[in-house]
Amino acid sequence: MRADAARADRNAAVRNAARSWHKTGVIDETTLAAIEKSVPDDRVRVGPVFRVLLFLFTCLAANAAFWFLWLLFFDNTGRQESKIAVAAIVFGVLLAVFTEIQIGRFKRSQGGTEAATSFVALGYLLGGLGWFAFEIPNQSDVKSVSLLLVEATVLFAAAAWRWGYPLYAGAATVALLGAVAHLPFARVSWIVLPLLAAPFLLRFADSERLPPAHRDSATAVLLVGLVGLYAAVHLGSFDIGLIEEIGDLARRSGPASTSQVLRWLSVAGTALVPVILLAIAVRTRRHPFLLVGMGTAVASLITLRYYVHLAPLWAVLAISGIALVAGVFALRRFLDSGPDKERAGFTAEPLFEDLARQRLLETAAAVVSLSPDARTIRDEPRFTGGGGEFGGGGASTEF
Amino acid sequence: MASSVNPDVANAIPKLVEPGILPPQAAPRLLRAARGELVSVHGELRALLYAGVLLITGGVGVLVKEILDRIGPAAIAAVLGLAAAAAFVWVVRVAPPFSWREVPSPNLAFDYMLLLGVLLAAADLAYVEVQFTPLGANWPWHLLIVSLLTGLAAFRFDSRVVFSLALSTFTAWRGVAAAHIGAGLWNGSQDAVRWNAIGCGVLFVVLGFALKKGDRKAHFEPVAVHLGWLLILAGLASGLGESGRWTLYAAGLLLCGTALAAGAYRYRRFPLFAFGVIAGYAALSRIILEAGDIAVLGCFWFFLSALLLLFGLIAAQRRMREPL
Repeated sequence: MRADAARADRNAAVRNAARSWHKTGVIDETTLAAIEKSVPDDRVRVGPVFRVLLFLFTCLAANAAFWFLWLLFFDNTGRQESKIAVAAIVFGVLLAVFTEIQIGRFKRSQGGTEAATSFVALGYLLGGLGWFAFEIPNQSDVKSVSLLLVEATVLFAAAAWRWGYPLYAGAATVALLGAVAHLPFARVSWIVLPLLAAPFLLRFADSERLPPAHRDSATAVLLVGLVGLYAAVHLGSFDIGLIEEIGDLARRSGPASTSQVLRWLSVAGTALVPVILLAIAVRTRRHPFLLVGMGTAVASLITLRYYVHLAPLWAVLAISGIALVAGVFALRRFLDSGPDKERAGFTAEPLFEDLARQRLLETAAAVVSLSPDARTIRDEPRFTGGGGEFGGGGASTEF
Repeated sequence: MASSVNPDVANAIPKLVEPGILPPQAAPRLLRAARGELVSVHGELRALLYAGVLLITGGVGVLVKEILDRIGPAAIAAVLGLAAAAAFVWVVRVAPPFSWREVPSPNLAFDYMLLLGVLLAAADLAYVEVQFTPLGANWPWHLLIVSLLTGLAAFRFDSRVVFSLALSTFTAWRGVAAAHIGAGLWNGSQDAVRWNAIGCGVLFVVLGFALKKGDRKAHFEPVAVHLGWLLILAGLASGLGESGRWTLYAAGLLLCGTALAAGAYRYRRFPLFAFGVIAGYAALSRIILEAGDIAVLGCFWFFLSALLLLFGLIAAQRRMREPL
């Protein structure tokens, strides 16, 4: 990452924190202005809506430019594939250079266009390199996929490091896990690699020496690594041989091993990993562990229900829901009853979060997940007594 | 997701306190949060409550289906009614007095218990309608009744989430699934549904305008207006595939999109501006692409138009950042 971009990134972190303090009433307008003056921002930034618009239309313009030039100058006769792959690589390099110029000379950050050109650049580079990966003579498709994944790992990691996008760091980790799946002892590697990397990633995530974008990238790598670790120990993944299938797409679905010992270890892992992650989250007060811990806990409970029929589905759902609500009530009460409404460094009170954005997300989620199914207009007005939807304001079960 | 620790902010706080920029009394709590010594789980608890409500309503749905024969419809209706009543009793007990202004939630669980009560009551009403058919041939009206009751609850207890449910239930009554806006409109020439979507959209936009103008729950306005415009634009966009009449829909979409973008630009409504730009661009592209050789012309059009639009957007965002 460029030194000026890293400095701007650090300043942006302080400015963002100050804005959240202002939104929650901790500081007033004058203090906010004074803080913003003390950590100046030399970057060209735009708000989230414009960022999305600029991203979309830059992607569109870049792709259209490529195909327009291709159709105009190259699309004639002869073998096209190798030419188009070379053209894609050249175009990808040009876009990468353009991204550099935007971030460097034009000082763009969170501006939509530089993210879009970087994204399209990676797409074209991977597309071109991918084509050549599959064209190497006497090479199996499995090896070609493996080579493509290695290329993706390197490209995404380089992009994350140079341009500071945590999303690319996460993508690089996904590609790396995919590449590792092609090696012998893939499942073991999926467990061992995240365990080995976690202490370093945690240190990077807190490091003062790294700019916020790189710290977030370390967190993204940690998150994906932990999900990969859970996938490797998960019983369902063991029983269908998920990781082995990723390593060999032609492999028929079946257990990763016939060993009952390994299967029981997988059972234990499915049960214990969420507990361990949540315990680490409580002990270290780290959101990534909390997030993955909660997600894997849900996945493990669903797995339990899949393998062990403790009760009918409705009972499992309703009791889990009631337990969850009751658990939240109890936790809230426990945290609120502590000195200053906190216990062990946790509080249920919002600190400096953007509650308006949370509410917006909840409203959108409610429309998407809880809206009733629409009645069929064409069916009217005949009434047969058995039709209709069980719903309105939510459920849509049919009788 | 960011780590809980933010060393840049932690380093900056003492430097801001020293020259008197940051009040010293605010510093300790801010510093603890920046160092990761104090972490809020507020968002996580809200997410868990939401998941809890989803699980309970999902369980109720399966329960009704699975044991209908064993306990009978009356018992099911009674159980659902009792569960909904229990949730409402809790909500009514802790609810603050009514106000036409925004009322803060009395506690973390309030919104979710209200949501649970509304969903259970809606399910109960629908179940009663299906089993006992009190509305007879007018059975679809139960969706309207649910929508109105949900709307009342939203106003009384000041819940935007419940208000959005009231609106989406209303659109369901008119045959439009708000959960996947437009998806149901694309798969055939369902003129009635399309015009219902547009009609609902207009109604919601007017409702939003009235709420804001009358200063009655003015904070509900964005919910109504955004959903309303989405329905209008999706309704019009769904006509772009119609053979023969697509030009009318394209013209309508272009007109609405442009007008919306212009109005949103004027009043600094960023999401509405985005809706308008995308809708107008889609309509214009549809018209241009009809003209001839789709491959070369299409690529040229998308390249040139997107490039011009980028310059326009960059200029627009600079102007929109200026105060009104």
